[in-house]
Amino acid sequence: MSSRHGEKFMLWIDGVGGYSVCMADAVVLGQPSGKNGVAVPILGNLSGRHARIRRDGEAYLIEAMHRTYVHGEAVNRIAPLDDGSIITLGDSVQLRFWRPHVLSATARLDFVSRHRTEPGVDAVLLMAHSCLLGPKPNSHVVCEAWTDELVLYRHGYELYCRCRSRATFEVDGLECRRHARVGRGMRIAGDQFAVAIE
Amino acid sequence: MDLEGRNTAEFASPPAGSLASGRPARFVYPSGARPLAGYTIKRGIGQGGFGEIYFALSDSGKEVALKLIRRNLDVELRGIRHCLNLNHPNLLSLYDIRQDDRGDTWVVMEYVAGESLEEALRSHADGLPGEVAVAWFHGIAAAVAYLHSRGIVHRDLKPGNIFSSEGVVKVGDYGLSKFLSCSRRSGHTESVGTVHYMAPEVANGRYGKEIDIYALGIILYELLTGRVPFDGESVGEVLMKHLTALPDLAPLAEPYRSVIAKALEKDPEKRYRSVDLMLAALPSPNRMPPGSGRLPSGGFSAGNDSGARPPQPVTAVAVDEEPIWLAVRDGVARLHHTWQAANLSTPVRVVLILVGLFVLLTNVVPLMPIVIGLLAVYGAYRLIRSLVLSSTPPRDRGLPPAVAPPPELEAMLHGAAPTPPARPIARHSSRRAGHRESEQAVAAPVVKSPRERVADLLASMLGSVLVVGVTCLVLALLHSFHAETMRLEQAAWLLTVGLAGTWAVLIPSKLWEGTDGEPILRRFAMMVIGLVVGLFAFHTGQFLLVHLAPAAGFPMPPAYELPSGFYGADGRPLLMAYLAAFGTFFVVIRWWRQADPLRPARLRFWPVILCVLVAGFVAGLWRFPQAWLPMVAAIMAIAVQLSSPWISRHERRRLEGHRAGQVH
Repeated sequence: MSSRHGEKFMLWIDGVGGYSVCMADAVVLGQPSGKNGVAVPILGNLSGRHARIRRDGEAYLIEAMHRTYVHGEAVNRIAPLDDGSIITLGDSVQLRFWRPHVLSATARLDFVSRHRTEPGVDAVLLMAHSCLLGPKPNSHVVCEAWTDELVLYRHGYELYCRCRSRATFEVDGLECRRHARVGRGMRIAGDQFAVAIE
Repeated sequence: MDLEGRNTAEFASPPAGSLASGRPARFVYPSGARPLAGYTIKRGIGQGGFGEIYFALSDSGKEVALKLIRRNLDVELRGIRHCLNLNHPNLLSLYDIRQDDRGDTWVVMEYVAGESLEEALRSHADGLPGEVAVAWFHGIAAAVAYLHSRGIVHRDLKPGNIFSSEGVVKVGDYGLSKFLSCSRRSGHTESVGTVHYMAPEVANGRYGKEIDIYALGIILYELLTGRVPFDGESVGEVLMKHLTALPDLAPLAEPYRSVIAKALEKDPEKRYRSVDLMLAALPSPNRMPPGSGRLPSGGFSAGNDSGARPPQPVTAVAVDEEPIWLAVRDGVARLHHTWQAANLSTPVRVVLILVGLFVLLTNVVPLMPIVIGLLAVYGAYRLIRSLVLSSTPPRDRGLPPAVAPPPELEAMLHGAAPTPPARPIARHSSRRAGHRESEQAVAAPVVKSPRERVADLLASMLGSVLVVGVTCLVLALLHSFHAETMRLEQAAWLLTVGLAGTWAVLIPSKLWEGTDGEPILRRFAMMVIGLVVGLFAFHTGQFLLVHLAPAAGFPMPPAYELPSGFYGADGRPLLMAYLAAFGTFFVVIRWWRQADPLRPARLRFWPVILCVLVAGFVAGLWRFPQAWLPMVAAIMAIAVQLSSPWISRHERRRLEGHRAGQVH
């Protein structure tokens, strides 16, 4: 249910990294085994559907389906997640949950342990309404060399983007002035950046 | 999509120093492009002097890095082909070299998801935590040692080429480096990031493996301090500093200070001859104290948890040194550095020096007593400190306890870098590193049976007769310069007492050799021996009817009364004076060190000078006729050092290796 088409896409940012963006309100974490199609497939010693992270308005909750800990404490059934929570799944998979920007409900999952998703990404973004890419440390994806900020935002499952500075940019080679609708297979390119959505 | 048009535009104006300057630049191929059959490009990773690097997936899903080589001359490609089948856990693997339809060459290689050392350093502005720095360095050095063992010089070592993949250090960009250095020499700006690590002799077109050692020295410096030793506004300035400036080693602790100093020698011949020798002089990672700093386990978490700064790496291996002396030395080093770095022309420097000298000379009269007073107080402090400190056995101080390394480090080093010979040597040299540890160093390689010791001792004693005789002769000649010619009985006294003193040092030193004795006890024993030597000297003097005439021209201490039992009516020293002078003289100097087979050189100049000065001071203190005690001191110091056995560095290594072989 959590991997319906259009709810999840990849963000490939030149010179920065690759990010998996999940737009659904609930994402399942588990083994990547194909059939059940979890949103965050982790190559680790986990169950097929191990835990679910749910966004409830501004708050995030984690539901344990199998052995799950938050800050080392076992999650009985459900537990809240805060900025900086360390989630342990099973014996060894450790993730850090954080919300870089106070004004955005978008959260990010990074690996603390040496595990990876399949296919490999640099981080998983749980996108609420908007997602900031830019040089500031409170961006959801910190792009150190950039001078401008790129904002991805959504209406439903439709995705738009604009530059913070109102500078023009290209989407698939076409110049855009203020904002543009973007989607899978498109490439957003500015003076100093290039982002592909897949 | 005008890919073609953009391509040519990009090629026409290569992005100058894009990586180095940190400015992003656009990549030729967008996400989804398939310039090379079988691989889909996902994103650009970075750009260097050689071309662009992309992250790509093979059709079956293998993650690779694709490097696009812009100018594929045969020479350069041959360099990469040599490296294609190298195999070392700390080297980034090269999978293949392919050509696309346009005739461009691509290198298919291992993709590393972890951070580069450059990124790790960026998030730790003051250097990495000690054990993490050492772990990184050992991984890098293992890779470079492997390359050297295969006859390949990396030539372009820099943090941007070094990565951590699941805790394993990976060195990349080998084989391409020849290409890089050519492009730098032809004046391209692309190598701005490279010059910080470039050895001075590269300017002369010399590309031996010494340039890798130099780059390792710079990288080690940067790991520990967070900055490169030679930085500047322009490429030319940095190059000039490589050629002329001395690195500022003040913020570093030993053994890093001396290791980096040796690796950064301007003359390649003076650097370490191999990476293994350099590693041997550094603490091995599992001897480091346990600390909070581990190599970050996640690839990207490093930048975000900089809140809790782990302890400074440079102080991780504390070396027991006298703090005031250390401060003075650091101050001088900093002054020297400022002087070197100051942008002054030669005439200005000369004028400054002259003014300084003038000020110094005009104030010499009021300054002198203050300086002498300070020196005297410091000397007393130093003596008391050494007495107090030396009563604690050295084993408890200098070296941190051996602890099990954290698992990540273990993985980094052992899973990754199986270099067994590094460890025994490292143990040996870290022992040599601290000054005070030399006593411990005596222990291992030179333990001998009592028989061998007696034989050694007899040989030393016989040898010392010859040395004492010759030294006596030289001193007699020198003496006749200064005062009247030495009389025969005086020379005989000098010879006998000098020989007795030498033997009095040789015998207990041989007894103590290879043990960890308490220095305070040794000093006490030396004092007793000194008293005996004094007694002997007195009776020899009586027997030979010698008159030790005080030579003129020696500074006399302010007049104070010594008990009348010390000197006869004619100023002739009596038994008490002999006992006092010789006892003091023996207790102050750690004579057994001069007989230590592991002393740095067979005959060292400074201990001799020190002995003579101390003897002069002691003689002045007890108003012993001047120049006689210093002469005895000179004879003893030279004879002890020349006649006691000494193991050369080379021999030590051989012994150490032999011993390690027996242990394992």
